Amino acid sequence: MDWLFRGRCWKFGDNVGIDGDMAPLELAISRETRLEVLREVFMAGIDPDFPRKVQAGDLIVAGKRFAQGNPHIQGLLAARAHGVGVVVESIPRGSFRNAISAGVPILPRCEGVCALAESGDELEVDFASGRFRNLTRNFERQFQPLPAMLLDIIALGGYKEALRRRLAAMDAAR
Amino acid sequence: MGQTATEKILSRAVGRTVRAGELIYPEPDLVTVHDWYTVNVHDALAELGVNRMKHPERVLICTDHEPLAVSRQAAERQARVRWVARTHEVGHFFDAGRGGHGHVFPMEMGLVRPGMFVFAYDPHVTNYGAVGCLGIALVVEIVEVLACGSAWVIVPETVRVNLTGALRPGVSIRDVAQRLIADLDPDVVDYTVVEFGGPALASIDIDRRITLVNTPLEIGAKSALAEIDETARAWFEARGIDHSQAVMSDADAPFRQVIDFDLGLVEPQVAQPPTPDQVCGISDVIGRPVHHAFIGSCASSSLADLRDAARILSGRRVSPSVRMIITPGSNEIARQAAQEGLIEVFMQAGVMVSAPGCGPCAGGRIAPLAAGETSINTGTRNDPGRLGARDADIYLASPLTVAASAVAGCIADPRDFLQE
Repeated sequence: MDWLFRGRCWKFGDNVGIDGDMAPLELAISRETRLEVLREVFMAGIDPDFPRKVQAGDLIVAGKRFAQGNPHIQGLLAARAHGVGVVVESIPRGSFRNAISAGVPILPRCEGVCALAESGDELEVDFASGRFRNLTRNFERQFQPLPAMLLDIIALGGYKEALRRRLAAMDAAR
Repeated sequence: MGQTATEKILSRAVGRTVRAGELIYPEPDLVTVHDWYTVNVHDALAELGVNRMKHPERVLICTDHEPLAVSRQAAERQARVRWVARTHEVGHFFDAGRGGHGHVFPMEMGLVRPGMFVFAYDPHVTNYGAVGCLGIALVVEIVEVLACGSAWVIVPETVRVNLTGALRPGVSIRDVAQRLIADLDPDVVDYTVVEFGGPALASIDIDRRITLVNTPLEIGAKSALAEIDETARAWFEARGIDHSQAVMSDADAPFRQVIDFDLGLVEPQVAQPPTPDQVCGISDVIGRPVHHAFIGSCASSSLADLRDAARILSGRRVSPSVRMIITPGSNEIARQAAQEGLIEVFMQAGVMVSAPGCGPCAGGRIAPLAAGETSINTGTRNDPGRLGARDADIYLASPLTVAASAVAGCIADPRDFLQE
């Protein structure tokens, strides 16, 4: 997987809700997991046109407690459906786990990142090294990347495929 | 540098010394799954081609969210759970009526002990911290543990809460637990284990520690632990439970934050809708009419909680405008409550005593709310719709406050009842 994302910044504030903001609660309750359904509603609770504006490789930059609320996976699967990367100041534990499960590249603890970019800026983020570059404003910062084992899960597309691989490896070792 | 109790427990579970922040695949001593999720687990394993769990002897399945099936569908689900438990030859299966609440009875029975590490489906597994066992919930990823024997976890940091002082009359640990999650900063607590210690811990018995360790996850904690002290050791020894694996945080362990909390500053607390951390002093909500009252749930269903209820209900009647349910946490708690005469007190007060388990708190499958109604109860959550109708208000409070409110027909201060 190519960990270098280069695209537009879409900036959100603190407390973006997993239910309502990132995807409708109804789709969480109905346990919707089809990416083609979820991509149509990504972030529509904040901006109804967002699913048509965002492009693969773009970067979601947000403040504290991104994806807060009851840890449903739907909003993060919707992010995966668009192929975006996520750079946030903090993310509650349940949604952090769901981001990995959904296969979303993420830098989960980037203190002060909201002050480093505005929506529309051209960003380049290397999720393997944690390097964050704002090409519009011409500077870079270093953040803590995910451990290699979690990058492996994301590279496989998330928890389910990673589990299949793990089982196959266990079978092969027998 | 020393280690936290959490680091020690997880070090044992991976067979080497680990520190907060490391990603590990720890092997649990026990894996717990509840009710109908057992069937989902079986189906997920089947889809992956897994016919046998990695360590079925370490798996505990219990039927506690709806022990008395109240629909044909629930009865069919229970039948299927029985079939899954038998097919997979799980080591510990507690069918309806056999144990009670899966976050309570395993501690009484010594299935969960100090120093153990448990992976679970259900978030309130943090309860096991009351006996110094670290419980971490994985929700759907519990399937990976059952298939492969482990799953990834980042070793959490610890927030240490040192309890000082003494409770004032009419105030209980439930009030402290609610006040604490309102006071703690969710950004500090996120992904940490909240560890309780300090001089006042000795005055808090295991029953009350269950309440204390139940609530921090509501503001983002990964788990919670109570330190093993003389009070805990006496409890284990009275029950013949092995506590030789108990661990404590070292004096120089690196805590994310250390907080002192004075029990003596707390008055009765009530969590208002829509979340458990919307907590206020009782004077802010006193007099609001209630229609439904419930004492139970994994947070507050111990013998100590039932004794608190009986202190208020003894010689009194539940208001004609209120229906009240009390759900003992386990069969053993129900038996002791009967032996002590608590059940008689409840019956004379006009309370319905339900089968040990979660009671109404499990999504209102029994005794739900109608639209426009208000409940005051000791459940874990008060999100809209938690007990049935979304258009209904849920207040959370201590067993003393819930019992007093049930008698009064409106939110009432238990101190007024205890002085009479």
